[in-house]
Amino acid sequence: MLQSRLGRGAGLAKLALRIGGRYLAGSPRLIFASVDRRTELRHELALRTAEDVAEELGSMKGALMKLGQMASYIDEDMPESFRTAMARLQHNAPPMTPELASSVIEAELGDTPERVFARWDPLPFAAASIGQVHRAITHEGRAVAVKVQYPGIARTITSDVRNVALLRRVAAAAFPGLDTRSLIDELGERLREEIDYQLEAENQELFAGYYEGHPVIHVPHVVSALSTARVLTSELVSGAGFDEVLRWNQRERDMAAETIHRFVSRSLYRIHAFNGDPHPGNYLFHGRGRVTFLDYGLTKRFGAEDLAPLVEALRSLVIENDGNRFRAALERAGFLRPGAPVSTEMVVDRFGLFYATVRRDAPMTITPAYASEIVRRFFDAKGPLAPYSDVPRAYVVLQRINLGLYAVLGSLNATANWRRISEEIWPFVSGPPSTPIGEAEARWEQEFKGRGQALQAAGL
Amino acid sequence: MMEPLARAFERSVLERPRDGGLFGPQSIVWRVHRDRSFPLAAIRSLMVQALHPLAMAGVAQHSNWQRDPFGRLAATAGYVLTVTYGDTDAADSAAARVRAVHTHVRGTDDVTGLAYRAEDPDLLLWVHAGMVDSIVNIVQRYGRSLDAADADRYVAEMARFAEIIGVPANMVPDSVAALTDYLESVELRQLTPAASEAIAIVLDPPGLDAATRDLWHDLGQAAVGTLPAWARSMYGFDEPAPEMMEREPVRQLIGALDFAFESFPGVLEARERIELRMRA
Repeated sequence: MLQSRLGRGAGLAKLALRIGGRYLAGSPRLIFASVDRRTELRHELALRTAEDVAEELGSMKGALMKLGQMASYIDEDMPESFRTAMARLQHNAPPMTPELASSVIEAELGDTPERVFARWDPLPFAAASIGQVHRAITHEGRAVAVKVQYPGIARTITSDVRNVALLRRVAAAAFPGLDTRSLIDELGERLREEIDYQLEAENQELFAGYYEGHPVIHVPHVVSALSTARVLTSELVSGAGFDEVLRWNQRERDMAAETIHRFVSRSLYRIHAFNGDPHPGNYLFHGRGRVTFLDYGLTKRFGAEDLAPLVEALRSLVIENDGNRFRAALERAGFLRPGAPVSTEMVVDRFGLFYATVRRDAPMTITPAYASEIVRRFFDAKGPLAPYSDVPRAYVVLQRINLGLYAVLGSLNATANWRRISEEIWPFVSGPPSTPIGEAEARWEQEFKGRGQALQAAGL
Repeated sequence: MMEPLARAFERSVLERPRDGGLFGPQSIVWRVHRDRSFPLAAIRSLMVQALHPLAMAGVAQHSNWQRDPFGRLAATAGYVLTVTYGDTDAADSAAARVRAVHTHVRGTDDVTGLAYRAEDPDLLLWVHAGMVDSIVNIVQRYGRSLDAADADRYVAEMARFAEIIGVPANMVPDSVAALTDYLESVELRQLTPAASEAIAIVLDPPGLDAATRDLWHDLGQAAVGTLPAWARSMYGFDEPAPEMMEREPVRQLIGALDFAFESFPGVLEARERIELRMRA
């Protein structure tokens, strides 16, 4: 059992609940105020200079907010209310003043936003973790979302994540019981990639190209000519946020969950690349299962050799029900130390939990409790397998996606026959469509036949 | 450890002040006193102030701060913040309370054999100068930008701060250079056993968990490195390694502590109140 976060009173401990959630915890006004008032307040406190940015997000603060955001997915003691509120938090970092945002556009795109774009909204409509997003219309008449990075933040964050010693100590104080070493490693990788919008643009285009024409999955295209390392311009999409979807009826929520599940599996098994930030703030919902997937700030591409042991583990457990082969696959992948003095039954029991949604061919509801149990089991430093198990570097992001996925599906309390849905996508099964969305997806695949081969030929 | 400080901060920055207080939202004092490097300035202040045997004796003989060092620090921080961000009434009554306490603080220092009383303008000036010098030094090194002209203006504005506690205005240095000269001109500077004991507690306060303690130690090292040479040599501290003193890692350390501090209820709102009034 992990220590209760709420029970500890000393020192930095309270940080655990509030880290990353400072605008929530510290500022009830900002939460309970009406939307208009909230916007007004945020703008009154807008960041005016690069020094303001450094005060607000430099000197470890941005890095620690990110750490808190990551930990919010993996800390089972995080109350549900807090977890949901984290979605709103995404939108509560102070914005830049119009002048400061404009200066970034000028430095990056060579002219004022009013000249670079046909129309430019000087007030941001959304916050990004290290920037903000403006609406604009290009000279060609396209409505776009322009993500503008806070000036100077790339430099300070690069320096902050290099200070691993300090990050480790803060994380150890805030999240005792969690494996902070891999958390910090991942934080560093996450932030270094996140500050490079060019990399993000490439990844986003990979997904946008693959999902072109998909019936329920939508990925906005990037406008490359108006994008740089600090500015990312892409097609503007509007839709309902995650907290809104939580108020929709269960049928709508089930369909949204199905699409999210399909997106994650398909991206993994078909394009061997996936968006590593399964954050509720990164989805826009359009009803009847249609979802837009935003934010490709951390995208992991997998080689066949990375994927093979995972596929082997999955097949041997789920299809063949062969505990020994399952164990051998986990050992080959590096999840379990070979020759660990534990029974194979124990290995199947502990690791099998992660496959519970797809082990049985039957509808299953992913409850918040189930999602928490997965996470708790994953980070259980005192479990019987803990001394012998590890998450190899190559799979850290994958694990994050899985854990984030469970957290999201758990919040939606979603029911589906996940096994049938997965079988449609698993390349070693290629099962028939099992739902209306599956049928539409099959028609799309038919229509875009050859896509997979073309991508493989391109070395993806 | 941070909780009493957070409460003091929240309470001192009034929600409905009746006026702009002694300095006003446009003052340099307002700008400087919201700096996040303040914990470091506090440690340095205490280290400088403790080197006056009579000032130290007053604290050692009349306060049981060792039992609750952070509570005591919070009281001092609350005073500084109230005089800065409170309205004129709040500032005046806070100063009146401190002066009333000071009337009882008198005695004889064991080491020098000299008599002291806390109302003595010379002692009050020493304490004031130790604090102002430390704030300027730390903010310039590790805080928001504060150029030489603004630093001089800050020191001059702070004369009011000394005045309300009982130092005649004409005694108070009004520039950074005058402040340094004054500190170095004070004859009675020495390390007494009471000061050694006090500073040992400041640098290693009881009741911190292991991780926070490590962070605090690093902060203490940085504070030692910023001391004037005479003060460091009185304590017999080595100069810390240069990398302990670099702006970036020290700011990161301060930022991590400040992040935790801001997560206490009320702190962020208090900061917003200051920010909004300064921008109004």
